[in-house]
Amino acid sequence: MTAWLDERRQQAAESNEVLSVPSLSDEHWRFTSLRGIDFATYAATVDAVPGEPQGAILAEGEHAGRIVMRDGGVVLDEFSPEVAAQGVVFGSLKRLAEEHSDLVEPVLGTIVGYDEKFAAENGALWTDGLLLHVPAGVKVALPFHAAYEIATAGAAQQWRVIISLGEGAEATLVEEHLKGEPGYANGVAELVVAESAHLTYVVVQDRNNASLHFAAHRAEVAKDATLEWAACSTGSKTGKTRMETRLTGEGSTGRLSAVYVVDGKRHLDLDTTQEHDAPNAVSDLAFKGVLLDDARSVWRGVIRVAEGAHGTDAYQENRNLLLSPKARADSIPGLEIDTNDVRCTHGATAGPVDPMLRFYLMSRGIPAVEAERMIVEGFLEDALERIPDERIRTALTTAVMRRIPIF
Amino acid sequence: MPDLVIRNLHANITGTDTELLKGIDLQMSKGEIHAIMGPNGSGKSTLSHVLMGHPGYEVTEGEVLFEGQNLLDLAADQRSRAGLFLSFQYPFAVPGVTVANFIRMAVNAHRKGGPDGVDNPVRIPEFRKQIQEAMELLEIDKSMASRSLNDGFSGGEKKRFEILQMAMLQPKIAILDETDSGLDIDALRIVSDGINRLVGPNMGTLIITHYQRILDYVKPDQIHVLMDGRIVRSGGAELAHELETSGYADIAKEVVS
Ligand SMILES: Nc1ncnc2c1ncn2[C@@H]1O[C@H](COP(=O)(O)OP(=O)(O)OP(=O)(O)O)[C@@H](O)[C@H]1O
Ligand SMILES: [Mg+2]
Repeated sequence: MTAWLDERRQQAAESNEVLSVPSLSDEHWRFTSLRGIDFATYAATVDAVPGEPQGAILAEGEHAGRIVMRDGGVVLDEFSPEVAAQGVVFGSLKRLAEEHSDLVEPVLGTIVGYDEKFAAENGALWTDGLLLHVPAGVKVALPFHAAYEIATAGAAQQWRVIISLGEGAEATLVEEHLKGEPGYANGVAELVVAESAHLTYVVVQDRNNASLHFAAHRAEVAKDATLEWAACSTGSKTGKTRMETRLTGEGSTGRLSAVYVVDGKRHLDLDTTQEHDAPNAVSDLAFKGVLLDDARSVWRGVIRVAEGAHGTDAYQENRNLLLSPKARADSIPGLEIDTNDVRCTHGATAGPVDPMLRFYLMSRGIPAVEAERMIVEGFLEDALERIPDERIRTALTTAVMRRIPIF
Repeated sequence: MPDLVIRNLHANITGTDTELLKGIDLQMSKGEIHAIMGPNGSGKSTLSHVLMGHPGYEVTEGEVLFEGQNLLDLAADQRSRAGLFLSFQYPFAVPGVTVANFIRMAVNAHRKGGPDGVDNPVRIPEFRKQIQEAMELLEIDKSMASRSLNDGFSGGEKKRFEILQMAMLQPKIAILDETDSGLDIDALRIVSDGINRLVGPNMGTLIITHYQRILDYVKPDQIHVLMDGRIVRSGGAELAHELETSGYADIAKEVVS
């Protein structure tokens, strides 16, 4: 019954065999070194470890469905019967890959292939995760929530996500990668947004300061559909997060927002694409980061406009506030344009808090530390205010601000 | 003693020996209106920045007393809480911080009185009422309170918001650095009315300007002419008229001779 599943794992495993861990000489890894990491020391996990996950910021309140994955398996798999009655499918991917192979088979491994080391490894080794399928025309108002946590120090967690929205469907999924124990997390998320559908996808990555976090999220957005994607990264030691958006349909929209705070000797790598494969699509990326101590961030983002994608409107900006002289942020924007009549703009900056601006605030009676806090929060607010849901916006603001120790 | 006493003030660009203020003497008190005029680049904004505690300048000589207290010992935020205000010639944009939030933070910082003070935040409805009244008097559209301060504001709008901040913080001495520049004729009247409402027993103002017009609305007790880092002449309101017709050239000649 699941021969196709075994086949895909096999295919991924073969690819994983052949590919080696990327090095600085690989174009996408020029600024992120994996040297010295012994991936073999992380123990593969298959089973769930019972227990309550800690530190989620958006798990409270009413949800259409909730998933909690601790180590290799799902410990909580909850789904509102009323939402289920509308034909929505939600729950553990391991379970649903069998029960709903009709939904999983067309997507798994087709959006994120096996040609990259970590995606290939995950394709071979993923143990669980979630499937969210919303049939055409169904709008789910309540958000879905997923939490991933490494429960055992030294464990490897291979998570996998599939979201598919049918024509005109609407849904929100909030994913939280919790602090947990130090370990190795590797995941893939494949998102299909059909014609005129609207997906809000929020990813909060607050993994342990000693954890490795690798993720490949990739979305395909059809005609007139919208992907509203917000990421908040405050955790993990190093790794890479790929956030790829392919606009396959005319008039589709991708709004990509991220805020991050990196401190200590941590390293954050965000690798994005805005792929315009159809005319008159809009993509708008705004990433804002705050760096402290010896921390380092890398954002690499390419806007790719295919032949015939006229009327493309693509924007990308990455702004970084360096709160320490030793912190560093690298921005590598890129444009690959194969058509005329497009509008593509980008901007990138990195620098300390403007002392003149701080002086302006202080001249109003606001003490130096408070002034700095207001400037940093205002700086991030620019990206955060793009998030339409107020509850999510407030939670993310709190999440990033609490990671800035001087405040 | 006058509320603000500036004695032989010299200041350099921080870290250099470029001297921009070369011995300024000036005294004023609450209730008084003083004006400073002078050619471009003569040091007017530098003086206002030095008084406010701008990090780009360092005082090399002289002293400034504010209500008898040594102003130069205080950080910019302390100077503000002590009752000094500067309306900037070029106000800064504060991205992501709304006008209302910014002013509320400033008001609360004043109420608290310092990092060691006791939090005594203004109640939100009370604050809202105050800011709305002040905005109405300055004929500022209510909707602007929720915009990021000065972010994308027009030149004239920025100046109105400087005066709004002054009205909300109620300083003892307000330095207005070319607040009239960039204001249209109606706005100039509105802003001048705003200044006149506040000047009185509780506030004095030092108006830096290039134009006679604002001084027709806000009548100065004294006018000082600043040239090349020094006050070269002081006089009554008639001095502005004299300058308007003859320019600074004659004074420059006098100074040299
Ligand atoms: N940080 C600085 N670095 C270099 N030069 C400076 C700096 N600050 C001021 N200056 C110079 O000092 C002089 C005085 O500048 P200031 O801004 O005080 O003039 P001002 O009298 O306010 O002129 P305006 O009427 O044009 O506003 C100018 O020549 C200016 O270029
Ligand atoms: Mg000036």
